[in-house]
Amino acid sequence: MLARTFTHALVGLESRRVEVEAHLQNGLPAFAIVGLADRACQEAKERVRSGIASAELQWPGHRITVNLAPADLRKEGSGFDLPIALAVLAASRQVPLGALAGHAAVGELALDGRLRPVPGTLVAAEGARRGGARRLVCAAESGPEVLLAGVEPVPVRHLAEAVAYFRGERDPPPVEAPPGDVAVAVPDLADVRGQERARRALEIAAAGAHNLLLAGPPGIGKTMLARRLPGILPRLDDEEALEVTRIHSVAGLLPQGGGLLRTPPFRAPHHTASTAAVIGGGPHPRPGEASLAHRGVLLLDELPEFPRPVLEALRQPLEDGTVAVARVGGRVVFPARFQLVGTMNMCPCGARGDPAAQCTCSPQRLDRYRERLSRALLDRFDLVVALPRPRAGELGGAAGEASAAVRERVVAARARAGDDLARTTDADALLTRAVERLPLSGRGHARVARVARTIAALAAAPHVAPEHVAEALAYRSPTELAVA
Amino acid sequence: MSELALAVFAAARDVHAAPRETRSRQYEQFAASFDDRAYVDELSQRGFRWLARSDPAFPPLLGAIHDPPPGLFLRGAADTRVLAAPSVAVVGARSCADYGAHVARGLARGLAAAGVVVVSGLARGVDGWAHRGALDAGGTTVAVLGCGIDRDYPRAHARLAAEVAAAGLVVSEYPPGVAPAPWRFPARNRIVAGLARATVVVEARERSGALITADLALEEGRDVLAVPGEITSALSRGTNALLRLGATVVTGPEDVLEVLGIAPRPNEDNGGPAPGSPAAAALAALADGAATADEIARNARLDPAATAAALVELELAGVVTSQGGVYRR
Repeated sequence: MLARTFTHALVGLESRRVEVEAHLQNGLPAFAIVGLADRACQEAKERVRSGIASAELQWPGHRITVNLAPADLRKEGSGFDLPIALAVLAASRQVPLGALAGHAAVGELALDGRLRPVPGTLVAAEGARRGGARRLVCAAESGPEVLLAGVEPVPVRHLAEAVAYFRGERDPPPVEAPPGDVAVAVPDLADVRGQERARRALEIAAAGAHNLLLAGPPGIGKTMLARRLPGILPRLDDEEALEVTRIHSVAGLLPQGGGLLRTPPFRAPHHTASTAAVIGGGPHPRPGEASLAHRGVLLLDELPEFPRPVLEALRQPLEDGTVAVARVGGRVVFPARFQLVGTMNMCPCGARGDPAAQCTCSPQRLDRYRERLSRALLDRFDLVVALPRPRAGELGGAAGEASAAVRERVVAARARAGDDLARTTDADALLTRAVERLPLSGRGHARVARVARTIAALAAAPHVAPEHVAEALAYRSPTELAVA
Repeated sequence: MSELALAVFAAARDVHAAPRETRSRQYEQFAASFDDRAYVDELSQRGFRWLARSDPAFPPLLGAIHDPPPGLFLRGAADTRVLAAPSVAVVGARSCADYGAHVARGLARGLAAAGVVVVSGLARGVDGWAHRGALDAGGTTVAVLGCGIDRDYPRAHARLAAEVAAAGLVVSEYPPGVAPAPWRFPARNRIVAGLARATVVVEARERSGALITADLALEEGRDVLAVPGEITSALSRGTNALLRLGATVVTGPEDVLEVLGIAPRPNEDNGGPAPGSPAAAALAALADGAATADEIARNARLDPAATAAALVELELAGVVTSQGGVYRR
């Protein structure tokens, strides 16, 4: 007696169709799963057996072999529980064989037969759509995700519900309305008092998708400012939102009952995070922080404290917006087009830039601190803002402009970014003079030119005028960082 | 006696090139086999020159000190006459504060603009900023090394050394290949003090190298000037002690020029930013001392964008400097 169901296994951010075959033979009762199943997948045996018993169904007293095909693909995770259970039930004729046609299934079984959601259901559902399945049987919590992929979900709470559905005892649940967008609370810029220069730099960074480095003594609000960047970025369009939602689904970070993630994501890994955690990796490659920040903001707080290998590994995604993880089982590419925001102190003791404190760093220590950031990495920051400690009086000032108002300007500037803004002759002359006078590298020249174009777009100017270049020059590496 | 032979001999034996070294037998053996001309040829192939003390071009001020070097190795394009031109040593702490960096740069800029050669030791901190200030003004500056003429020490100042060599001279009493050693820096300081008509100490802790330079200058009867600093700062303790002992107070390049008897050049013809412009407003907001960009914006009633543009304009004009986000005029 043979039956088969279909499911979709995650490979990076893609999915591959997996055929789950269950064969019942006469012989001593046994249960074997073959087809490169990993440990979590092998443990499905126990969950499936208990789940079927809890659903008051019969565990067949046969020799049961479950094959996961293609056999050369490594299967990982607990999402195979439901398709295995359904295949076994169909093979023992407890579920009509024909009823499974056009369906795929994904989900983890609890010992009491309840169904639990698994990471990456969105990707599995997209695979199901491409594989020709009309409906995907999944945990009730995963319904909205499946709907996003354009597949009709059959959300079930319990294995018994799924069986009832296939036996035709229960109507398929009505198609829900597409889920709304996930509401993400982003702190507002109105909370920031003073710091006008930093706010301005943040706006330019948002308008031009420039990487931003904030340098200043501890406790002046560098991190606070950086956390407010997603709030002034344009909301994600459909395609971007689906990309981001997919990555978060695979990482199991999608909030329950959620829909599309429209707010640019914000990720802030700690500096003790490993390279694999930041870039992505693991034996079964998973997206790292860089990919979770795709289309959003990656904040590296205390940038020089990050180990050099992590920072160097970030150069690939900064260059081409993707992360490639090569493993024995193949190569996986994750998207990672994020906006990088770094913060750092001006010196290891943190007193530089603080008029109330005296720096006690020796020149050698200072050099070592700065050497941790390679030139190549510093060159990726279009905007570098030195934030000295504000005097106490400033903090009592009025609340700043709200994020929504700033975002309107950012959106307008992005719409103009396509326009070909040329520099006027005067602006060109100023840039040339600046390169001669200030410590600016060749790349520095290009950086300033880029930022000046964004400033002109923000100002809705027809050309890049000298004042735009001049302002862009104010956000270059402070001399302390540039003097090698 | 060949001065060059003495310089090379002393460097090879890691001793100070004092005249008494020539009385040893080893020196006689060394000098007998030493070929001056071949050595000078080799030097010039590597882009270095040798200026012996007996050379009429040797700076007379340096020749007059108690313990002059046998000669100087030179690197750079400038004529040896710059060594005899009116010059001022600007020295100070290596780990200087933003204040010291700013003052050193500003003083050197003003002195160089008035045609004075700025002498310093290419060290980190005040020394480096003094060289930079002179270069900013398009002036001439001389860096005295405490290691072989072919070395750039500290390494971080390699690029600065190249710029100094292009606009002035890098000099050392040590031939190529000599590694920096702690005892060579006080020896280097006597050349810094010896070359200059006056020595300005910008920021110095107690018992620092800059104070050694000042002491050497005093011993040779040169003028010693000091920049006053905050009485609570350890970085000002050395300079404030010098002032108490009677050093001349420096509040600007004019004070130094007055000591040298050089009339300051009348203010530059461009006369700063046009009145009423954002740059003028930003500059006025800096009248009370250092300020952050946000403070300037508030005082000058400018928006952050205009402030940033105005401050860059002033920086490029050399009117203000910025460090760590703090602007000073």
